[in-house]
Parts: sequence; C-alpha cells; structure tokens
Amino acid sequence: MSYSCTSTGNSQDPSSSKKSGGVNPGSCSNGVTGKGKTRHSIRGSKASSSPDLTAAMKVKKGCNATDVGVPVTTEEELLANKTISPEDVLGLQKITENYLCGPEDNVYSIDFTRFKIRDMETGTVLFEITKPPITGGDKRDIDPNAGRFVRYQFTPAFLRLRQVGATVEFTVGDIPINNFRMIERHYFREQLLKSFDFEFGFCIPSSKNTCEHIYEFPPLSEDLIHEMCLHPYETQSDSFYFVDNKLVMHNKADYSYSGGP
Amino acid sequence: MHSLHASVSAHSRVNSGIRFPRDKSKKLSRNYMDYLCFRTLCCKGPPPPRPEYDVVCIGLTGSGKTSLLSRLCSEATDNVVPTTGFSIKAVPFQNAILNVKELGGADSIKKYWSRYYQGSQGVVFVLDSASSEEDLEVARTELHSALQHPQLCTLPFLILANHQDKPAARSVQEIKKYFELEPLARGKSWLLEGSTVDNMMAVKESFTQLIHLLEEKDQETGRI
Repeated sequence: MSYSCTSTGNSQDPSSSKKSGGVNPGSCSNGVTGKGKTRHSIRGSKASSSPDLTAAMKVKKGCNATDVGVPVTTEEELLANKTISPEDVLGLQKITENYLCGPEDNVYSIDFTRFKIRDMETGTVLFEITKPPITGGDKRDIDPNAGRFVRYQFTPAFLRLRQVGATVEFTVGDIPINNFRMIERHYFREQLLKSFDFEFGFCIPSSKNTCEHIYEFPPLSEDLIHEMCLHPYETQSDSFYFVDNKLVMHNKADYSYSGGP
Repeated sequence: MHSLHASVSAHSRVNSGIRFPRDKSKKLSRNYMDYLCFRTLCCKGPPPPRPEYDVVCIGLTGSGKTSLLSRLCSEATDNVVPTTGFSIKAVPFQNAILNVKELGGADSIKKYWSRYYQGSQGVVFVLDSASSEEDLEVARTELHSALQHPQLCTLPFLILANHQDKPAARSVQEIKKYFELEPLARGKSWLLEGSTVDNMMAVKESFTQLIHLLEEKDQETGRI
C-alpha cells in the first residue's frame, strides 16, 4: 500500500491547527478478538551489566505527570520556551492545540517512511502505510507540514485488542544523532489514556532504521470504549521527537473507532 | 529483569559450545506452562507476563540476520534488502520475548556496532557458513572483537552458522574449529548452532537455548 499523508493546515504558522481533515489512508478492519493471555507490557528499566548507566534503548512506563514525578506544564508555557525538553511534554495534561515546533526544527532531516500496526496475538497486519518517494519536480509544491498529521479509522473491535506491535521506519540525514527519543501521548477528550516513552539512542548517519515496539492497550472500561466509539476523532495523540533532549519534531494523529468516515 | 520462575536450581556452568540435552530446562518450561494454565483456569487474573530480554544481533552483510528474524516473527522474506541502520523487533517465544536490536553488517554500518552494545543482555552472531575464505576471516575477526568487548564479554552468545543448506557450507564442527571458539570463548557462556531459513523449527530451538542462558544469567545477577 502506498499513500501520501498530507495535512491541509498551513505551513509556517505554528498556531495553524491540526484540525485539518487530512487524507485518510484507509480504514482498518479486523475481526480479531481480544482473548488470550496478557502479554508482557512495555518494560521499565532493568538490571544490566552496567548498572550505573542508562540502557541505550528502553521504554519507560508512565501515564501521567504525577506518576513520572514531573511537574504539570501547559502548552502556552512551552510555546514561550526556546527549546522544549522531554520533561516539558511529560507534564502536558491534554492534547496540544498547536504544533510545539515547526518543520524547520527538524535539523537532522528525520523522515518517517513507513508505519505498520499488527495484532501481536495473531500477527495480523491491521494497518500499513508507506510514504511514496518524492520525485525531483514535486519538491516545491509539497506542503512542509505534510506528513505531520494522520487520521486513522478503525472499527470498534480495535479497542478490544490487548497488544499491538507498531513498527515505525525512519531515515536520518548525514549528521549522526546521539540520542533520539520519542514520547507519544494518547488522549480521549481531556483524559490521558497512555503515555509512551521510547529511547532509540544513537542513530547512524544516513541510515534507515526500523523499530517495532509493543503497545499494551491501557485498560478501558466499557463506558469509555462506548464513548470512544461514539465520538470519532476525539481520541487524539501527540508524538514528540527529541534529539539530545531537544524537541525537533511534533506529529499528531486522531482516531475513529466507529468503523466509518 | 527478573525471570518468572520461582525457585529454580540453576547450576551455572561453563558452556563448552555444542548444545547438549537440557532436561532440567525442559522440565522448567513445562512447569511454567502448567503455572500459566493454572492461573488462567483458576481465574486468578491475567497470567503473569513473559520476561523480556534485550539482545543485539550482529554479523556480516548477507549472513542472514534479517531473514532469520523476520521468519521468527512470521513475516515474509521475499522483500528483504540489506539493513542500513538498526532494526528493533520484539520476537516472541513461548517463555520469553526477545527484544532484538539487529544491526546492518555493511562496512559503513558495522563500524557503529559498539554504539548499540550497552544495555544488551545477550548476543546473536550470524555468519554465512558458505562464504568465501576472506569473508569468513572477517567474520572471525568481528566475532572475536565482540567476545572481548567490555560490554559484551560477560553475556551469553548464540552463534549461528547460517546457510547450512548451501552446498559450500562448512559444517558446524569446522566452523567451531576455524573460529577457535574452544580457546577464545572459554569461560564464557555460548552456543554454536547450524541454521538455515529452511528449518525454522531448529532455529527456534536454538533461540530457546539462548533464552535458557539468559534466564540463568539473570538469576545469577539477581543473587549477587
């Protein structure tokens, strides 16, 4: 499958909302049930052969600011900062209205080229999207905000899954990256559902890298599932990417579970 | 990361390399599966999660790392291209999940291998048993470097003599001798197995043996 992802927000102004419709890459249907053993969730830190040093690639748990011991922050505060750190975004309590950085902040030329979700229990690929290569002539016409926003359409069955593997593929420019880290936060309305924190660590210059990590679904009550299905696109996520603890990219997505547009 | 097994009498042993039957470990997995069934049937809540181990997978380009790992994840391998960076995959096994960090083997990539060693609990080294003499020598140099690297030297190693299906493939015994594993890996915990994508059952078994080594190591670390 190959689709282009675009957002219709305008480019330079960081206050341009993500509320553009976006191109829907395609709906996902799946008929899998959520039965089966609960698999291991994303790991916290672990003992390693060098106990004093942090592991190069690890996923941290942490759902909200108080869990992680980080002070609450607001979007307005952060927009006033020159640079934004991982601790800054971990304090956010809701989806941001604006992008917290512009496309020009991506000085390392990180480019996401593929994304795939599969159900870990059955191995079924639920969703896959590949960014088509840009040919020379098109470069001028591409909206610099293109690819920052994706709209997903799933069926209600998606919310019954326990564990999905999400594979992300990205390329890196010719400057090596010492510490690449992603923090992704999912909300339904103003409620934080889950926060993921993954450190890729070092990225080789001019490399293409893939990473699959396992998302364990947070426990969702029947009422919440019902609400999420009834209110498409009120489930939203912010994905923040940091190099050496400075925000360089910010992508957004929203989700429908009602099975249709 | 702590193993889920309760009190297991793990005997630490210096592995001589060739896999030999491990009855204790087979009993171990049966006990674990029984435990899981018991928990599930008795509605004691969701069964405890499988332990996870971080493993780094290295080897020269073309040795077959991506193909083997993709097959272990039941993914198609018709579109495999050389890995030009890292590829992180969670590979599920019955009793554990291995978070494998596979690194490309091309010259431009392998010079960065050591940037990824920190935090690893085990190593998988893949080699092409049917490669040229020259390439085999390069593989030997790389394996020896890894075995001696400060961040890897105390970790369990699974060495896969891959491409055993090819006519030119050297036998596991020949590989063991050529790579001087007996002297050079003495005192370390390692396994040498032949492999081919045509026999994934055997590959799974090799990884399961590695998991046993990781479990043992984990328990040793826990006791200290």
